Amino acid sequence: MCRWIPILLLLLAAGPLRADDVLIRKGEYLVRAAGCVSCHTDHENDGPFLAGGRALVTPFGTFYSPNITSHPQHGIGRWSDDDFLRALRDGVAPDGSHYYPVFPYTSYTQLKDDDIRLMAAYLRTVRPAVTDVREHELPWYLFRRMMAVWKWLFFEPTEFAEMPTGSAEHNRGAYLVVIGHCSECHTPRNRFGALDVTRYLVGARSGIGDELVPNITPDRSAGIGKWSKDDLTYFLATGALPDGDYVGSSMAEVIDDSTSHLNSADLQAMAVYLKSLPAM
Amino acid sequence: MKSVHIPLSLLRILGVCALLVLPVPSGADEAENQIKYRQAVMKAIGGHMGASSLIVRGKVSHRDQLKVHANGLLSLSRDIAGLFPEGSDFGETEAREIIWEKWDDFRKAADESKAGIENFVRVVETGGDSDLAAAFRRVGKGCRGCHEDFRQKDE
Repeated sequence: MCRWIPILLLLLAAGPLRADDVLIRKGEYLVRAAGCVSCHTDHENDGPFLAGGRALVTPFGTFYSPNITSHPQHGIGRWSDDDFLRALRDGVAPDGSHYYPVFPYTSYTQLKDDDIRLMAAYLRTVRPAVTDVREHELPWYLFRRMMAVWKWLFFEPTEFAEMPTGSAEHNRGAYLVVIGHCSECHTPRNRFGALDVTRYLVGARSGIGDELVPNITPDRSAGIGKWSKDDLTYFLATGALPDGDYVGSSMAEVIDDSTSHLNSADLQAMAVYLKSLPAM
Repeated sequence: MKSVHIPLSLLRILGVCALLVLPVPSGADEAENQIKYRQAVMKAIGGHMGASSLIVRGKVSHRDQLKVHANGLLSLSRDIAGLFPEGSDFGETEAREIIWEKWDDFRKAADESKAGIENFVRVVETGGDSDLAAAFRRVGKGCRGCHEDFRQKDE
């Protein structure tokens, strides 16, 4: 009997750990789905995972992404769940300052609170890395406080709303397209950098790094109307376009770091939702 | 009728001008042709990839043709880096300058693509259909790996 006691104790100790582990894996899945990895990892210079420093060249200047590893000083190691909720849902940093919308809180505001807590739980397990944060290179008039005005004009914290007539699959797809922040590149912006939601996902001329971003509405000539749902799902998993070409540039990063990590039911849900949008 | 006398030196100048406007093959033309050839080969690779994808995903039943497509990919990808000679970085190209700046990285990515294709050919020829999807995904990853860093689509 005695020799079973240590094993029982071990099992007792391991029990809650395993439950935590499941939650952390869920958080990791959400971090992938929300597309955090590509911008917060400096792949080009082999930077540590999620340690930031990646240059994001935009029409408004060059931004350098922050470190979101668990490092207490350089990363987010000291953040509480509330800090995460405020950052993602309201675009406000723990010190109360406003984030530039290059951090897509305009989309993340629709993340569910429980999902944010899971993401936070995972991020606290990411190997801490030390990085020197570089200052953004912006024109003089784009200072942080200015963002309060920008947000007053163009941003409102929003809860994700399911479409009552949509299937569970459709609504899951809508949620994933929102948190994957597809629209941040695929929807054109006005001169102040706010998304023109009347032209949702019709493509944009000037994305990150001055790329042309294609129309992904179901229009048969301008968009992806000729793609089957299966084509779309396979594309999100592999980057294969229906004509045999393979996607490159920042969408290849999205496939590598985000969508190829999602399960096929979720990719299919995204395809169902995208195919249901108005063709433009 | 009075004949017009043109001095010899003027004739010479006119002759030189005539030579200047004649189409003479230049370095720029060579580079343009390299780019056109490269794009044609890439299109051919894309054709085999598109066809293979439909077979591997079970969308069409031309399994017996897969060998043709796999070997087509292999022949076309033997020397991908050779399609990018220095100087073929201007004009109508989607190739980014970084190819030549980081040539070793580019070569490595091209070799990785080739290794994926060689593996795919092996799987196709030995008939291990259960491994087909994974082998084909690896080929795609090779294509994507290069396009991600080294290609800039302009349309």
